[in-house]
Amino acid sequence: MTSEQPFKIAVPDDALALLKRKLDDTRLPDEVNAAEWACGAPLADIRRLVSRWKDGYDWRTHERKLNALPMFTRTIAVDGFGELNVHYVHEKSAAKGAIPLLFVHGWPGSFLEVTKVLPLLTSASADHPSFHVVAPSLPGYAWSEGVVEKGFHAKYYAELFNKLMISLGYTEYVTQGGDWGHVLTLTTASLYGPKHVKASHTNLPMCEPPKFFKNPIVLLKCLITSFTPREREAAAHSQNFFKDGMGYFAEQTTKPQTIGFSLADSPVGLLAWIYEKLVAYTDAYPWTDDEVLTWISIYWFSRAGPAASVRIYYELALSGELIVFPKTTVPVGLSFFPKELARFPKPLLRSKGKIVFESEHEAGGHFAAYEQPEALVGDLRKMFGRSGPAAGVVFGCTGY
Amino acid sequence: MTSEQPFKIAVPDDALALLKRKLDDTRLPDEVDAAEWAYGAPLADIKRLVSRWKDGYDWRTHERELNAFPMFTRTIAVDEFGELDVHYVHQKSAAKGAIPLLFVHGWPGSFLEVTKILPLLTAVSADHPSFHVVAPSLPGYAWSEGVLKKGFVAEHYAELFNKLMISLGYSEYVTQGGDWGHVLTLAAASKYGPEHVKASHTNMPICDPPTLSENPITFLKCLIASFTSREREAAAASLDFFKNGMGYVAEQTTKPQTLGFSLADSPVGLLAWIYEKLVAWSDAYPWTDDEVLTWISIYWFSRAGPAASVRIYYEFAHLDNPKRARFPETSVPVGFSFFPKEVMQLPRVLLRAQAKIVFESEHEVGGHFAAYEQPSALVSDLRTMFGKSGPAAGVVPGCTGY
Repeated sequence: MTSEQPFKIAVPDDALALLKRKLDDTRLPDEVNAAEWACGAPLADIRRLVSRWKDGYDWRTHERKLNALPMFTRTIAVDGFGELNVHYVHEKSAAKGAIPLLFVHGWPGSFLEVTKVLPLLTSASADHPSFHVVAPSLPGYAWSEGVVEKGFHAKYYAELFNKLMISLGYTEYVTQGGDWGHVLTLTTASLYGPKHVKASHTNLPMCEPPKFFKNPIVLLKCLITSFTPREREAAAHSQNFFKDGMGYFAEQTTKPQTIGFSLADSPVGLLAWIYEKLVAYTDAYPWTDDEVLTWISIYWFSRAGPAASVRIYYELALSGELIVFPKTTVPVGLSFFPKELARFPKPLLRSKGKIVFESEHEAGGHFAAYEQPEALVGDLRKMFGRSGPAAGVVFGCTGY
Repeated sequence: MTSEQPFKIAVPDDALALLKRKLDDTRLPDEVDAAEWAYGAPLADIKRLVSRWKDGYDWRTHERELNAFPMFTRTIAVDEFGELDVHYVHQKSAAKGAIPLLFVHGWPGSFLEVTKILPLLTAVSADHPSFHVVAPSLPGYAWSEGVLKKGFVAEHYAELFNKLMISLGYSEYVTQGGDWGHVLTLAAASKYGPEHVKASHTNMPICDPPTLSENPITFLKCLIASFTSREREAAAASLDFFKNGMGYVAEQTTKPQTLGFSLADSPVGLLAWIYEKLVAWSDAYPWTDDEVLTWISIYWFSRAGPAASVRIYYEFAHLDNPKRARFPETSVPVGFSFFPKEVMQLPRVLLRAQAKIVFESEHEVGGHFAAYEQPSALVSDLRTMFGKSGPAAGVVPGCTGY
């Protein structure tokens, strides 16, 4: 394993030129009258975004801003997969006793999702705990090398993360994740907790549905629990997602390479594929065009290319890891945001692990760290703070 | 309705130039080692096809070949949708008593699927019946105008086809279709048969599964039927399709426009999306690169653009009355041809319960694109079904086929 290398994004000029040529030659489809969002990303939005991407949006400005983040790369060896070069954000708090925290993004996210919580998590204060934050880019995302061998299952991500944290001097740490970040940190906790992973927090609590024979009590509890109006709303929102929003999932879990050709070759294709989710998944988040375009550009200019980012669906669906969630003994914290995609019943979630912290929010969706950074950090501070339910889980790291 | 206009494809030079520029700037993904077909269209195939498309494949040559077919356009009014300009192939047989036949393609097909059976269907002989053939491009495909108003569903296609046939002087006719072609000709038979549609043939027989409450006898029959080994094999293949090959359906039935941006903008994206199915759904058909590229080019250069072609999935999945039968009943005689590599194969006992099956045929080779892969076999089935002593002989009064 090589030692840490500081990393600055430096997209080559010819890559920018290629993008410009492609954008100039964008061929847009027409649209069914009054379609709005019913059939997918609206034409008016995409047209406006392409126009801005062509003229006005300045990648170099945003590249510079991203490069102000403390970013690094290092090579980590993973059993059976050789060495992988991992890109990550790493910021230490000034607080000596800060708690090491591994933050893992999902799809269509990126390390960008840590940028708003980062200063809040690392800030030192007598009133709240602080964290040392490590936020890797998943293999095949942003500037992390992609995996070209088959079978990179959840346990290999876990091995990668654990080795990364240990290499940074954090043999004990806590985790935070949503989307794939949740599945993968859960696996990490299952395999490397409680020895290394001391606690886990997620903003997308999920688990597999109960089988009557195995957990009759839990199933019955779920059936007879009177759900609050908020829970009913959230459940309806979930149902909508499962009914109308899973096309990407079906394609990515079965033919990631087929859709990969479009994502790699077409800026507008990639934009529409992701933008549809950025809006659908968030709680009326006021995306600016440049914000969207930076989010997409990270995929477009990624080291492994956009097609690599969807393979995780295929690999984890094939291995069954998408439906069988590993058991873990470490304390777990759950934050519920109203516009999250999937809402699982609380009795069920509580039966799956040692839930020490729960929090319900009034606003926020799937990208909680990006949409509601204060709220999410507020939860982590409560969970790990002085009198919190996970206070002192990391030996010697009170957070202060 | 306007009268028939002869039609020649004439893709503008700047469209060709744009395609060339895009192909030159194609950015390919990498690939998982030894992926082959497991993850989707293989990189080596797509790379080779893009290379050929860029240099070597000559659209104008293929355009000329397509223009040798008797193609036309005409405007048809559809209730609540106004007038639609429909592109179609129309060839009359020299046989005076030829049977009018409506041939309807599906996705990712096109009117191209009629080109091999056309000369066989229209050929005159004392030994077999002949057909007058009408093969429209579905709205939003090839050079048929697309529909921009929501809700264009089965009965509208049926109305379109029926009016087209009647406008061509065929007030009584038979139909042939697979894929959407089957669903839509079934709708036509249901709505306009037996007055206009006299019989239907399909190479992709499908139907809704029976429920105990609605069709108890069929339901029970399915449970106790002893399936042939062939039916079991076919069921296993179907299962693989349902498990691993339906990603495109999930996206096209829910977010066709999101996908549409890729299909409209990226030649390689469109190529991969369709090529994956051309190979997966055919029975070891020896596609040549130029064959594939012509197939894709029809989508690329289509009048409404490639995004229009996938909207049919959305419309059918969002009917305001979901209880409306997807596969409506019809009283007209029906013929089935079973090809071993068809993607969806259902137990025969189930299919037989759904309609008046007068003709069945089992084949040893062939897949989803039967008319294109096995033209002689398919035409032979139609000849047997509609011929002198066939089970549907004389369904169209005055049109014996001879």
